[in-house]
Amino acid sequence: MRKLFLLIAACLCTMLPASLFAQNKTITGKIIDAKGAPVVNASIIVKQTTQGTTTDAEGKFKLSVSGNATLLISSAGFSSRTIKIDATISDLQIKLDEDVARLDEVVVTGLSTTVKRKNLANAVATISSKELDGVAPAQTFDGALEGKISGAYINANSGAPGGGISVKLRGVTSVYGNTQPLYILDGVYVDNTATSAGLNAITGAASGGSPTSSQDNPSSRIADLRAEDIENIEILKGASAAAIYGSKAAAGVVIITTKRGKQGKTQIAVSQDLGFIKARKLLGVRTFTAERAASLSSDSATSAGLSAQFLAAQSKGQIYDYEKEVYGNTGFARNTVVSVSGGNEKTTFFFSAAQKDEGGIVKNTGYRNSSFRLNLDHKITDNIKIGISTNYINSSADRGLTGNDNAGVSLGIALSSTPSFAQLHPDALGNFPNNPFAASNPLQTIALMQNNESTNRFITGLSVDATLQKSSTSVTKFIARGGFDFYNLVTTALFPSTLQFQAVNKGTSIQGFTRNLDVNYIASLVNTFSPTHNLSFTTSAGLTQENGDYNNLLNVATQVIAGQSNVNEAAALNATQFRSKYQNNGIFVQEEASIVDAITLTGGVRFDRSSNNGDVGKYYTYPKAGISWNLTRMGIIKDGLFDNVKLRTAFGQATNVPAYGSKFTSLVASNIGGNTGVIVGTQEGEPNIKPERQTEFETGIDFSLLKGKLSFELTYYNKDIFDFLMLSNPPASSGFSSSWANAGNLRNRGVELGLNARPISSRNITWNTSVNFWLNRSLVTKLTIPSVPQGSFGYVLGSFQIQQGASATQILGLNGQGVGKLGDAEPTFQMNTYNEITFFNKLSLRFLIHWKKGGDNVNLTNLENDFGGTSADFDKVTNKAGLPDGIYRISQIGTNAQMFVQDASYLRLREVGLYYTFNKIPVKFIKDVRVGVSLNNFVTITKYKGYDPEVSNFGTGFSTGVDVDPYPATKRGDFHISVDF
Amino acid sequence: MKKNIINSTIIIIIIFFSYSCKKDYGNLNSPTVEAFLSNATTAELNNLVSGTESGMRNNINFYLDDAGTLGREGYRFSNSEPRYVTDLLGANDGTLSNSNFYITSPWAARYSVVKNCNILIQAATNSALITPAQKSGYIGFAQTIKAYELLMNLNLTDTNGIRINVSDPNNLGPIVNNTDALTAIAALLDSAQTQFNGASIAFTLAGFNGFNDAAGLSQVNRAIAARVAVYRQQWADALTDLSGSFFGLNNDFYLGVNHVFGTGSGDQLNPMFIPQNQNGEVRVAHPSFATDIEAGDDRINKATLRTSPASLDGLSSNRDVWVYTSSTAPIPIIRNEELILIYAEANIQTNDLPDAVIALNIIRTKHNLPAYNGAVTQAALITEMLNQRRFSLYYEGHRWIDMRRYNLLGTLPIDRAGDDVWTEFPLPVSEAQ
Repeated sequence: MRKLFLLIAACLCTMLPASLFAQNKTITGKIIDAKGAPVVNASIIVKQTTQGTTTDAEGKFKLSVSGNATLLISSAGFSSRTIKIDATISDLQIKLDEDVARLDEVVVTGLSTTVKRKNLANAVATISSKELDGVAPAQTFDGALEGKISGAYINANSGAPGGGISVKLRGVTSVYGNTQPLYILDGVYVDNTATSAGLNAITGAASGGSPTSSQDNPSSRIADLRAEDIENIEILKGASAAAIYGSKAAAGVVIITTKRGKQGKTQIAVSQDLGFIKARKLLGVRTFTAERAASLSSDSATSAGLSAQFLAAQSKGQIYDYEKEVYGNTGFARNTVVSVSGGNEKTTFFFSAAQKDEGGIVKNTGYRNSSFRLNLDHKITDNIKIGISTNYINSSADRGLTGNDNAGVSLGIALSSTPSFAQLHPDALGNFPNNPFAASNPLQTIALMQNNESTNRFITGLSVDATLQKSSTSVTKFIARGGFDFYNLVTTALFPSTLQFQAVNKGTSIQGFTRNLDVNYIASLVNTFSPTHNLSFTTSAGLTQENGDYNNLLNVATQVIAGQSNVNEAAALNATQFRSKYQNNGIFVQEEASIVDAITLTGGVRFDRSSNNGDVGKYYTYPKAGISWNLTRMGIIKDGLFDNVKLRTAFGQATNVPAYGSKFTSLVASNIGGNTGVIVGTQEGEPNIKPERQTEFETGIDFSLLKGKLSFELTYYNKDIFDFLMLSNPPASSGFSSSWANAGNLRNRGVELGLNARPISSRNITWNTSVNFWLNRSLVTKLTIPSVPQGSFGYVLGSFQIQQGASATQILGLNGQGVGKLGDAEPTFQMNTYNEITFFNKLSLRFLIHWKKGGDNVNLTNLENDFGGTSADFDKVTNKAGLPDGIYRISQIGTNAQMFVQDASYLRLREVGLYYTFNKIPVKFIKDVRVGVSLNNFVTITKYKGYDPEVSNFGTGFSTGVDVDPYPATKRGDFHISVDF
Repeated sequence: MKKNIINSTIIIIIIFFSYSCKKDYGNLNSPTVEAFLSNATTAELNNLVSGTESGMRNNINFYLDDAGTLGREGYRFSNSEPRYVTDLLGANDGTLSNSNFYITSPWAARYSVVKNCNILIQAATNSALITPAQKSGYIGFAQTIKAYELLMNLNLTDTNGIRINVSDPNNLGPIVNNTDALTAIAALLDSAQTQFNGASIAFTLAGFNGFNDAAGLSQVNRAIAARVAVYRQQWADALTDLSGSFFGLNNDFYLGVNHVFGTGSGDQLNPMFIPQNQNGEVRVAHPSFATDIEAGDDRINKATLRTSPASLDGLSSNRDVWVYTSSTAPIPIIRNEELILIYAEANIQTNDLPDAVIALNIIRTKHNLPAYNGAVTQAALITEMLNQRRFSLYYEGHRWIDMRRYNLLGTLPIDRAGDDVWTEFPLPVSEAQ
């Protein structure tokens, strides 16, 4: 292969003009943007030499060159330019145009190599700092991704403070394996485990007596990260781009780069946000009459009592909207960020300190996050650079008690059967009455309980970039990156004995302690060989290792002494511990060839083994290959209407390693009367388990017109997942209720269309816009185990089910005639548009609109309300049977589940922000002041009947979109002020 | 080029040193089945015994609520779980689903114990560290419990049958009909009984007070065998089995073996306990319990009056089920009161009516009722016997099965138009493959 490249290279060489002999001289220059402002830190490189420099704070540079030279000027966010200089020129003024189509953006393609977007063979999505955090900042980092990634289906699990989100890139990539992407922060693999606080011990949402379940609604640990620190995010959506990340990359890779210091004057920025948080929507409550109150019971004496109770409450004016009292509060939010950055030729730094404190829409819930970051870059010599990123985060989320439960204790379930004439308020002494309509008094629950997740986290990354060898045609570098992510998570769930539902347990304290350490490194050698300026080869090879060590101890104490929370201040204590540990090893080789900066060929292979596989010693092979062909640069399409046309195709393989422990059949402790016992676990291990393998093929065309003012990106992909990991449901008579298996094959196909444009570009107004459209279709092509309903509540209420020949996310259930398909969680398509309109260079309006068309949820929230006789539309009559709707709907349970499977389409104004910059400040030391207002998730148009179409009772797994009395989704408004010194 | 050679050498060396050892962390969290199957110690076998006894309690509340609700002993009202009052009572012309918790959960829990028993049998057989007498003790216990657990599932699915041979998860035996299943269960109990002859018991049990030795376990085995015999209508066998059990007309009604509960670490609380006068999550008596019971019967205390009635979805009741009165109250596995009633039943069926009346009168008088003064005919005494079983074994999982045995499900009260009384549960969806 390499020989072929050399042959082509040789041919191309002969076409080059003979270079003139050299003559040294010094030139100076200034680089400016379209508005005449200096471009700081732009890079100027003399082509075919190793000479180069960067501009200073005034955009100026000085460089010694030979007589006739070609300069390549580039800077992030601008289109790069090549300038030919001859002997006559010594002082230059060079204007750089903004890179609207982002063709010159540098994109990571290997573990230690990058390529410009115009030569990229994949559709890699990027999110800039401004898009992430500069429109209407979300509470947590994960929330800030919503609606911004073309090709992704992002869904918030609930509105509870502290985040919790599911990100699926290009469809579901696994059934019971990991469906969430790998997050890499400055080279460090960041843990995103969702650790349950043990709420199942209280709610009994999942039967079987385990203190934890998938319905405990924990946050995702990725939410700890600070969006303000992030410079940009790249999303490798499938195996064709992510293969080089190997065994953890099947669900995609999210590469996060934080801000770094720049050489020059020290810059200080202080920003302060103040805002409020409210529920996006409340469902409303039923308006009661004496007759309706009586109808809550079928017992005549009780009915009479209820009716009297209602009339008494009415006459005293004690009719309440409890939904509003519980969910209708306003949370106040503040966020302060101070950052300092700067440096000299040798050392640059970026420091930030930030703290936010936000209330929730439910009293006694909220989120607090404090973070420190120090990023240092240092040149030990001209040839050796090191970079250090350190981050300390302290986060605390009070998340309340919401979601599914079987004990009548979560707020939504308690509210569902509590009519407006119930009397739940505390007496003069502060004692709450028992709720006669439910197992708990939600007002009392809110006042007395605690459900807190508190994290202390250190993430530290180190990178070394050493030039081992350098000549005019070849540069060899040693590049190493690595680091660790360590956190301690403490979960505290307290339910004092005075709570109505603690009559049996007499006070419960659930304390969880989790320690997690992830360590990873990549060591590689990268050789760039450019025999001529039209040809270059980048060869990289290296080693990777990832280690994880997770240890969770969960103590459930009951009969806790009043006022105490320590687990020993109790009469009974149950402890469970779960540990997991893995090591993955990888070896990779990658070759990239660039010919006349127009054809880029990439080929690579990675070999991986994992301690989670059945065969721990076996290396699995993951190849990848890609080609991009720039037709304009080749001259096949003449400059004119089109200024950049590129065809691209890529292929790659990646995997998901099996979950820790899937190869074992365990015996679990089950004690009785002081005798220690073990019983065989309900999950059967598979000693020969292997990773699920994904093969992705992607192809597309990118083109831009009108000097890059309008650009399009069209992509088609086909992703096959072989041997997908699934918990099969063997006949329960085997003693096992689930069994790990490589159960079949799955396919995702989709298209992604993107458009970037600058429709208006006048002296006073600029308008930048991007529009994306994407859709995905999945198909189970093979299933080797019997198909059974899973991941929800059975056919009676609508359930997911994997079936050969059907969509992986289909929802089946009773349809009146039997069991049939009722819907599919997969959206028909999604669209978004991001816009920034700038007036007079000072006033900036930015907004993001997100449209999800189709995709069904299983909505049981409204069912619970019907069942408790409290739904707002209970008494309307719109059905054929002429019954009140609430009664009619209940009468359908058991024969028809169609009403629970609801279209969860929405059109959402995700973010809108208006900012004004004052840059002529009378105070000397202040450079500029920016003020703004923003609204996040404020407007939603949807026909969905629950609180919000974005919901998932089962967290981040395969079965998102099940709606059971979640913490209602929130919206927020903020005022921003930031000052640059 | 020289540099490249050096670089390649470096890479090879790094690979050699850092990659030569592969990591296998094993199971960090719990022992594995394989470890117990190779030459288990007494401690390990005893762990399996206690785990088996403990596991018998898993999801026992679903079994009792299934039988209690279908047999119209009471209702389980839950605002968060509508299926207790919809599916189980046949509301809205619905049917029982084969994928819902009320069958899948108890079914799986029982078979999990069966699996543990099979592992215990295999581990005991493989162990060279125990005496043959001890081995017999383990196997006898495992077979007895296995038979009991299989019976519990057969009670739910009845004519739909159960699987008997489940020792190899990858090669399960067929589903057998209820007649064959009962035969197999009886055979298993007989085999266990043989094992107990001369067995030595090297383990302790928590809920088997007084029955912790080979003789005691043998009595428990025969008590269960007696229950199986009446289910099989083998009346003479039932009487024989009773004679080998702890049955005694003058013994305490509550003499027997129990699921016990405790607050110790890893232990369980009684899932059937709900305090009186709760709201939202309640278990209330069917209104007919209070209207049908004879005046003066002390068993009325099994359903206490509520301060205010509870109602849900067109059903209501003013009495709490008050059989399990604390979170550590035991749940009987089998007890003497049932054996006395089995004695009565077998005697009625073998036409030894005076002995049956004696037994029934022991039940009646101890519950503060006058002696039986009805007709002494088989039919009348069957009615009386079933009535005594209804109140004596209230919420212990018998009423529905008794009514089914005597083909009387049609006489159970229907509370809402369109409700049904189910005769059996469907096989869980996972079995229908």
